[in-house]
Parts: sequence; structure tokens; C-alpha cells
Amino acid sequence: MNTTFRNEPLLELRRGPVRNEALQALAALDARLPLEVPMLIGDDVVTGQVFASVDPSNPTTVVANAHAATAAHVHDAITAAERGQQVWSKRPTTERAAALSRAAGILRSRRFELAALAVREAGKPWAEADGDVAEAIDFLEYYAQNALVLDAGRPLVQMPGERNSMRYVPRGVTGVIAPWNFPLAIAAGMVSAALATGNAVVLKPAEQAPACAKAVVDALHAAGVPHDALALLPGGDEPGKALVADPRIHTIVFTGSVAAGLNILQTAHTMVPGQRHVKKVIAEMGGKNAIIVDSDADLDDVVPGLLKSAFGFAGQKCSAASRALIHRAVADELTERLAGALSTLRVGPAADFGTDVPPVIDIAAQQRIEGYIDSAAPLAQGDTRDDGFYVPPTLFAGLPTDHKIIQEEIFGPVLSLETVDSVEHACELVDAGGFALTGGLFSRSPRTIEHVSERTPVGNLYINREITGAMVGRQPFGGGRLSGTGPKAGGPDYLLQFVEARAVTENTVRHGLVV
Amino acid sequence: MAPNARIPGMAAPTQERPLDLERPIREIGTDLAARMPRPRAVSTARVERRMTELLMKDPALRAALFRFVDVRPACSSPADVTRHLHEFLVDAESKTARRATGITGRPLAQRPIAVAAAAGVKRMAQQFIIGEDARDALPEITKLWRNGVETTVDLLGEATVSETEADTYMRRCEETLRALASAATKPGQVNLSVKVSALTPLLRPTAPERGIEGARPRLERLLRVAKEVGAHLHVDMESFDTREAITALTLDLLSKPEFADGPSAGIVLQAYLVDSPEHLDELLHWAQSTPRTHPFVIRLVKGAYWDHEVVQAAQMGWAPPVFTDRHECDRNFEALTKRLIDATPTVKVAIASHNLRSISHAAAYADARGVGNEDLEFQILRGLGDDTQAAIAATGRQVRAYCPVGDLVAGMAYLVRRLLENTANDSFLAAAASGTDTAELLEAP
Repeated sequence: MNTTFRNEPLLELRRGPVRNEALQALAALDARLPLEVPMLIGDDVVTGQVFASVDPSNPTTVVANAHAATAAHVHDAITAAERGQQVWSKRPTTERAAALSRAAGILRSRRFELAALAVREAGKPWAEADGDVAEAIDFLEYYAQNALVLDAGRPLVQMPGERNSMRYVPRGVTGVIAPWNFPLAIAAGMVSAALATGNAVVLKPAEQAPACAKAVVDALHAAGVPHDALALLPGGDEPGKALVADPRIHTIVFTGSVAAGLNILQTAHTMVPGQRHVKKVIAEMGGKNAIIVDSDADLDDVVPGLLKSAFGFAGQKCSAASRALIHRAVADELTERLAGALSTLRVGPAADFGTDVPPVIDIAAQQRIEGYIDSAAPLAQGDTRDDGFYVPPTLFAGLPTDHKIIQEEIFGPVLSLETVDSVEHACELVDAGGFALTGGLFSRSPRTIEHVSERTPVGNLYINREITGAMVGRQPFGGGRLSGTGPKAGGPDYLLQFVEARAVTENTVRHGLVV
Repeated sequence: MAPNARIPGMAAPTQERPLDLERPIREIGTDLAARMPRPRAVSTARVERRMTELLMKDPALRAALFRFVDVRPACSSPADVTRHLHEFLVDAESKTARRATGITGRPLAQRPIAVAAAAGVKRMAQQFIIGEDARDALPEITKLWRNGVETTVDLLGEATVSETEADTYMRRCEETLRALASAATKPGQVNLSVKVSALTPLLRPTAPERGIEGARPRLERLLRVAKEVGAHLHVDMESFDTREAITALTLDLLSKPEFADGPSAGIVLQAYLVDSPEHLDELLHWAQSTPRTHPFVIRLVKGAYWDHEVVQAAQMGWAPPVFTDRHECDRNFEALTKRLIDATPTVKVAIASHNLRSISHAAAYADARGVGNEDLEFQILRGLGDDTQAAIAATGRQVRAYCPVGDLVAGMAYLVRRLLENTANDSFLAAAASGTDTAELLEAP
């Protein structure tokens, strides 16, 4: 097992032969569609009411037929997980870490196939899909290593005649509710953090991407995680709600919308008769992220940085930019260049290497985003098409600050430009918002960079670059305010959310002598 | 392994005895060095030498000044200029920089400092950039022509992010070709280097076909104009991300029957790329199978995006596409030089280097093969290689100066790159400027 963490290398898709291999993997996957995603509860493979996940780039293609869990299935899965908890928590940390690392190896060996699956099931363009696989591998390796570090405990103050120690123990059965936008990475990250620290897991993946979640679960099972210690429950609201409400769940890990997150917090913190513990909720709930452009910014860097942040993966990342706060001195020039650049973006299928902006995830998302776009007059708009869930990349400018396009999370390819008088003015606007996930600053003044770094409420600030693409171990990810409960995924403190500390103090004095 | 060493037991590939190039290389190199200002084998031309030496010894100051040069065009007022300079100097872990902050921090000094600093940046820029546009640059260009030095003009500009900006760049190229043609005194004198990344906003590393289709109509039009005015059009190479698109587009367009009898055209081979020998295979194969009135020109360079390639590869977890060992890179440069010279006259060779060893090696090998000025030229960067240019020209070999043209804002990225190169610790020019012995500079890599 590695002792120093290195991020999994990304596929070098700029080389033709690598792209060919990717396309072959996609063809091989297509020949196997639709995939079957049953429930995995203990040792049982359980079937239920079937629902389909489809290719957002071509909705007539069914990617997977999944079996929806009911509240009863959730009950069964937690019962199995309580057994799994007994077994898994007693395994030495080294063994658990080795299993996660083996699972990472399995994902690595299926690299192209899994990227192809994310292309099909989540509509992620190749580079993003590959990044998703690589990040899943990173999470498994990183948390495996961090668990070993945590296992050593922390040093405490020692006195003569007294021996103090502190170690970390698993909290208990963990419910994971995963999103569709990083269908491999976030599922793998949340599940593996819980597993690494000795917790059994019940995973409820997003309805739109069950097959990706199954690939992660399969790898973990094959790597030696007992089936009782990791259940897979595809489905919609019902299993999610049942999971959160069950008194036997100790920790809930969630990534998704604010509304769903706040609901989870409320349910989880309502005591149920028989419950003997306080549930902990780890929630990552989105953002309304702004990039500040100062008068001394290099616009040659700003234009591609904004395009990538706002329109990459059609803006469907919690970290995506949806506001640009531009200094008056460069606003006109930047606006003109951005509008010109917008029309160079190709909207198309995720599987097409030439695509800049893929479709959004489903028809509900498409209609919701179109609703925002129709609520004001765009400054510029890109292409769209009607053979998938496409939305045209859209720029707005000069909307009033209280407009919903500026205030609400849209989660689509929409960017609004606002002119500001100063960086401080921009900071005030950011500060007035309810979210605090990511933010950006383009400036070449060291003092301005310092000032914004101190002033910003966001969890991840990116300077002179795009604001998406956090890497495990390099950019621990997560924000405050309504963006989440704070823990940094992919950072050194994340695993502390999944454990409780036990301090033991032994009196070593016998008959007045220290023994 | 020396470039001309052979694997023991293997017969020489030709009936000739292996050439001993080391002696002629030493002779040619020593002769060139003797023609340059002493005691430095290569001077940094009009760049302040003391400044160069100071910056090489003080990396923190170097970083501070480069960051200042980089931001200078975006500063709106004297106060803004001074504020940036002061901030960079305060942050620099450098005694010289700290001393300077005593001056830049004084409110009353703002205006004079801003004026002086702006003038300094402008003066530096003017050493590399010969004019704001073709008309502005003509006096300098015709002066070089009169001195027997050929030129190639490179139009600096902001990054192309829209179709409108690509059109603007194409129009500037066309105007430049016509302006130069109107001043030319002999055929073949007009020579323009163009960047595909400026001809389209559609270059995508994972989809070369988009950049190819985006740039095709504009490059095609420039080829027609070049043919019409009898100019040479050279397609520059850029970062590795774009090599596939640039190569495919260039070769594809030049394969059109319409361009078989002109214009003269060429491409670039970057010796720092580990797979450059295979890239040369592709270029030579194409050149041999595509008869053209004007031989295809291949400019051999070391490559100017080394840091970018290494940083990008490290962040992505890729093996760097470039040699990370300077000697390996230099040996590859010599191996490619030989293959190119052997491929004349199907191709015409341009050796673009300021490295005295690389230049002398190419000259020695060409002499041994009987390849002369009609098939081989040397290229230097205006402002950096002026002394080298003069020395090469004085020995009767053909030399061409690569002359950037553009305004200060557009030229800043180019300027920063050149300055970084010039003061980098492993730079040949820096070694030469610091007085390294000529014999040492001429040692086989």
C-alpha cells in the first residue's frame, strides 16, 4: 500500500490512441445495455419495481434497469448492516484500508469502461467522466491512508502516575444519499469514508445514475467488504426518507439540494422512540458561486476560466460559477469577448469529443433551467438541440441583484454578469448571499488576493483559474452557510466526521509507587 | 552517448566512415564566438547585462519584476502602476527588492516611479518587438534586409476566444503580407509566421478536428494571399495540446493541388518533445510524397513551452511529453539536425537556436554533406540573438531574424516568456552571458 498519496493520473485524452480506446470501451458498453441494477441487501440480490436510467444525450437509450427499494427494503438493509457493523468494525484498520485500496485497483482496471458508463448514464463529457473515475479511485486510496493515520490516535498530555490515551471508534451504521452529477466519485467518497473508519453503509444512489453506484459497490464487495457491511438501494424519495428516519442509523451523509438537505437535517434531528443517540448529518448542499474580476485581471485567462467554470458539464456542479462580478474598468471589453466566446461552444452529446456543453440530466432539469432562462432577456445565447435534454448556454448581464437568476441556484449552463465599482463592492455582494461554497478571483495584485482570501465566506476560493475541478488531497472541498455543514471532502479532517473519540485514563500508581 | 557514437558490432549504415564532427564544430564555434562582443560568447544584445546578471542571482527579485512586467499593461494610472510594483517588491524575499520598497512606498514618488517603470518596461519590450504593426516595423525590417539578414514576422496578439478575434488576426496577417510585399526588393523576401491558435477559437486538445475545421478557411486564405504576393508562410508550433491539429491542418492544406506551385510554406519541429523523431518521420514522409515547387521548410527549434508542458503533465499525472534532461534534449536536437540536413533538398532546413553548439553542429554537418545556403538557414529571435545573427551573417551563412510585431499589451506574454528564458539558470544565453568558456559551450551534449 502506498504511503504517500498521489492523485490518480487522468487519461491523456489529447492523444488519439487514448481517445480510440475510450470509444472502443463505449461501444463495448453499448453492446451490453441495458444494465441490470438490483438491490443488494446482505447476501441477497433483491428485485422490485423496475425504473430506468436513460442517456441524457439520447433519452431513448436505456442505460440501466434498476429495482426501486421501498421502506421495507430499507428496514431489511439496516438490519443486515447492523450485523455488518459488528463484523466490519472489528476488522483491524489495516485490513479495512487494504480492502479499499483493492477496490481502487478494481476501478483502475475498469478505467475506460467506467468512464464510458458515466458518459452514458450521467451525460458527462469524456474528460469529466474520466475525472469522475479518477476521483473515485482517489477517495478510496486517500481515505484508506487517512484511516491508518487516524488509527494511531492523538498524543495527549501525560502526568506521572497516569496513562492517557485517545483513539477513534466508528459511529455506527451510516446512510449515504448520493447525487447523480459525480455518480462514481461522490458515491465512492462518501461510502469509503464511512467504511474506512469501520462503519457499515447503506447507499441510496441518485435515481438518475444507479448503474454507476453499482459499479462502486461491486468493486468494494469484490475487494473484501462484507455484503452485510455495504448495501445498495436504488430508488427515489421513498428509500431516502426511510433511511434518514430510521432510528438505527447513526450518520447520514448527503450531497444534493438545499431543500432536500434541510429536510434531512430536520428529520434526522427528530428523536424516534427507542433511539438512543443523536444522528449526525454531513451535508453538501450546493452553491451560488461568483467569480470576481478585478481591473488588473488578464482577460485572456478570464474568458476561458469563466467559460469552463460556468458551462463545463452544462454547469451541473455544485462548484460551477453562475455569477461574474466584473470591475467597471474591464466590464465592457470582457462582456464583448465573453459573448463572442459563448458562440464557439458546441452543444452536443457527451460521448462526442468535440462537445463543450452536454445535455442536462433529465427533462425536469431541462424545464426548470428553461424557466430561469425565460425569466429575463439574455445578453447572448449558444446553440441548442432537441434530440436530448439540451439547454442553450446562456449569458445574462445587468440584472437587478434581487433577480432569481442572480439569487437562486440554477444548476445549469447559465452565467450572469454584474458590473461592480470595486473588488470590495464585489465582496459585499458575495457576502450578502446565502451560499458559501466556491468562489473565484482574477487579480494580479498580491494585496487584493490577500484581502479577498480573508474576506470571502466561501469554502473554496480559486485565484486566477477556473473554480471547478477540486482534487482529492489538494483542494479539500466543501463550504459553509447554506452550502453545507462544513466538512471538507478529500481533506485531512473529513474522516473525523465518521468516528467518535474515546479517551482512556489509567491510574498507574500502586501503593504509592508508579508501576 | 555522443550523437555520432555507434552501437558496438553494428556496421555503419553507409559505406562512408563515420564523420568526425567535433573538430569542425569547435572550429566553426570558435570562429563565431570570436565575431561576437567579448568576453561573452553570446551577449544578450541590448538587454541590460547587469540587469540580467542581477536577476539570475536573485530569483525572488526576478519573479517580482516579471510579475510587474506581466501586469503593467493592465494598470490604469500611475498610482496603479506603482501600487503593483510596490506590492511585488514587498513580497519578494530579496534584499534588493526590500531596499527598493523604501522608494516605491513613498506617496510623492508614485508618479516619477510609475513613469520610469513604465518606460523601463517599454524599452525592454522594444528590444524584442520591432513595431506596433507592419508599417511601423518596416524601417527595422528593411534595415535587416539591407544587411543581408532575412526576416520572418510574427504578429503578437491577445488570445483568440471568438470568431471575430480570429478574423481580426487573419486580416492583420493579410495586411502584413501586403505591406511587406510592397517594400520587398527581391522575390522570396516576405516571410510571415502564423499561429493556428490565433486563427480559430476552436482548438480543443481532445478534438483536433474542431480546431482544424475552424482554422482551415482562414489559413487557406492566407496561403492564397501569400501565393499572390510571393511570400513564404510559416505555421508556428505551440503547446503539445495543439500539435496534432496544427500538423494535420497544415499538411492537408498544402496537399491541395492549388498550392503545389506556391506559396513557399513550412512548419516547426520541436526537439524538446520526446516523440519528435516520429513527428519528423511524419513530416518527411509527407514531404517526399507531396511534390512542391518550393521545398517544404522545417524549422527546428528546441521548443518554447517547456514549463507549461512539465507543469501540466505533473498536475494531470502524465509523463511529460518533453525531455526533462537538457543534455538529452540537446542530443536529440543534433540527431534531428542531421536527419533534416540529410533530407535536403526535398525539405529546406531552418535551425532556430541561440545555442552556439547547436548552430556549429548544424553548420559542420551541412558542410560535410555539401549542403549550402539554398537548403539551410539559421534563425534567431530578434532582441535575444542579435550578436549571434551578426556573427553567423559575417561567416557567409544565411540567417533569418524572427521579428515579433504588436502593441505592448499584446506583446507582454511574449516578452515575459523571452525574459524568463533569458535569465533562467539553465539557459544557454545566460551561461554565455555569465562568461562560460567557449570550449565548454561547444562540448558535445
